[in-house]
Amino acid sequence: MMESVIRLENFYFAYNKSELVLQDIDLEIKKGSFTVVAGPSGAGKTTLCKAMTGIVPFYMGGRYSGDVQVLGESTKGRRVSDIAMRVGLMLEDYESQLVSLTAGEEVAFSLLNHGFAPEEVAERTRKALEDVGLPGRESYQLDELSGGQRQRLLLAATLAVHPEIIVLDEPVSAMDPDGAHSLYELLYAIHQRYGTTIIVVEHRVDYLLPYVTDMVVLKEGQLVTADTFAAAARTMYEDEELRPLVPALWQVKLGVERRFGITLGEWRTEAEAAAELQLLGFEGGNA
Amino acid sequence: MRISAFTQIIVTVAVTAWVFILPVKAVATILVFELALLLSIKRDRMTMAAIGGLAVFTGLMILFQLLFGSPLEVALTGGLRMLVMTMAFLCMLAATRIQDIAQTLVDRFHLPCEYAFMLTTALRFVPNFLADSEITLDAQSCRGYSNRGNCVKRLLSYVVVIRPLVMRAVAKSETLALSMELKGFGSNTYKNMPREPLGAADFIVLGLVVVLSTYPFWK
Repeated sequence: MMESVIRLENFYFAYNKSELVLQDIDLEIKKGSFTVVAGPSGAGKTTLCKAMTGIVPFYMGGRYSGDVQVLGESTKGRRVSDIAMRVGLMLEDYESQLVSLTAGEEVAFSLLNHGFAPEEVAERTRKALEDVGLPGRESYQLDELSGGQRQRLLLAATLAVHPEIIVLDEPVSAMDPDGAHSLYELLYAIHQRYGTTIIVVEHRVDYLLPYVTDMVVLKEGQLVTADTFAAAARTMYEDEELRPLVPALWQVKLGVERRFGITLGEWRTEAEAAAELQLLGFEGGNA
Repeated sequence: MRISAFTQIIVTVAVTAWVFILPVKAVATILVFELALLLSIKRDRMTMAAIGGLAVFTGLMILFQLLFGSPLEVALTGGLRMLVMTMAFLCMLAATRIQDIAQTLVDRFHLPCEYAFMLTTALRFVPNFLADSEITLDAQSCRGYSNRGNCVKRLLSYVVVIRPLVMRAVAKSETLALSMELKGFGSNTYKNMPREPLGAADFIVLGLVVVLSTYPFWK
């Protein structure tokens, strides 16, 4: 059985003066997985991300029960910044998360705060910027970088502390499709290179189809399923409200499977789908 | 010749003290030096606009003093002193990176890091705030906001721009606070950054500051 890096046990949470946002969440995130958290708006996806990094409930306050364990330790009683050294978090509004004036300072900020030696900070900063495709930009002012580059910079700042897990909350919500594909390609490259566990909250799972290994689905604060991508996508497809969130390619696949009573491969790209359908004799929409 | 942020802060503080203890002619000489220094460091549109703005503000200050019955000489001297003080800060900001000022304030002057961080945050977020205000203004204009009418009417109608703008700013500041928490912002911030060493130029300038500051007491 695969080792889990995050474990939520019987977790309930409500913000102050609000209804329950998360209810009875029992969940494990496998080490080295590329997990997507999906679900309709208001399902509690962002709150779940915050719970995985100790922000909920220990920074934001609120009522809770149950336990969240990150890398074998409960988040209870731990400082958010200490957890952040092992679990990097990128929130949706990336612009407001940049705290410095130059790219180099932004990446170095967290490292310096945690007492790393200046030589190591410089080396990690250089490497992190290189990893996200911004080599040699240490002295660039933030307003000299485009929106996409700033997002990459934030990722570099997260990477520089060498986290074992990276959690991203709708990182491409304000990006065009090309920018979104490019960021996820980069994220996948980092996942492959360093074996980092990646958890992404994403409405448009289509973007992640080539990379995702596992999927967590939430609905109205409750866990619908947490399984391999293929199994979770099937569960989603059975639920009419969740069906539109299944990647378009998989909606076709599951629809074909249901209609013709066959089992198709785990399509990750349109090319794979086209090849298999042609092999089975589906041509121009006719079987 | 590179002068550290520490020395520049000391010089700025010293200049603000000198404007009160030195005679008007000496203060006017400092102003000439400041202008020459500022224009030699930066000669872009922003700097020119800042100098122009300061000049207008000084003119208004002199005018108000005259309106309230101050003699012309007192009004002019007051305006000059204010101009020299603010110009000193302008020189410091033009010559030093704001991050270095913030670090020096924490590291050498023991200012709490929260206050020093406000400097960098302000510089970082003012352009964002201005961009947000333009977006909000456009959005509300599409919904029927108009700035026509008398002053009171304009002020009241502007509430529909202010309200979403403030809410947006609050949301952004919450995200910023959370981001800082995640990045371990606290007592170690700035202290672990490499300290800017004082060089020969710093000691010469600091020596001059001591001489000029104590000069009136030698007589």
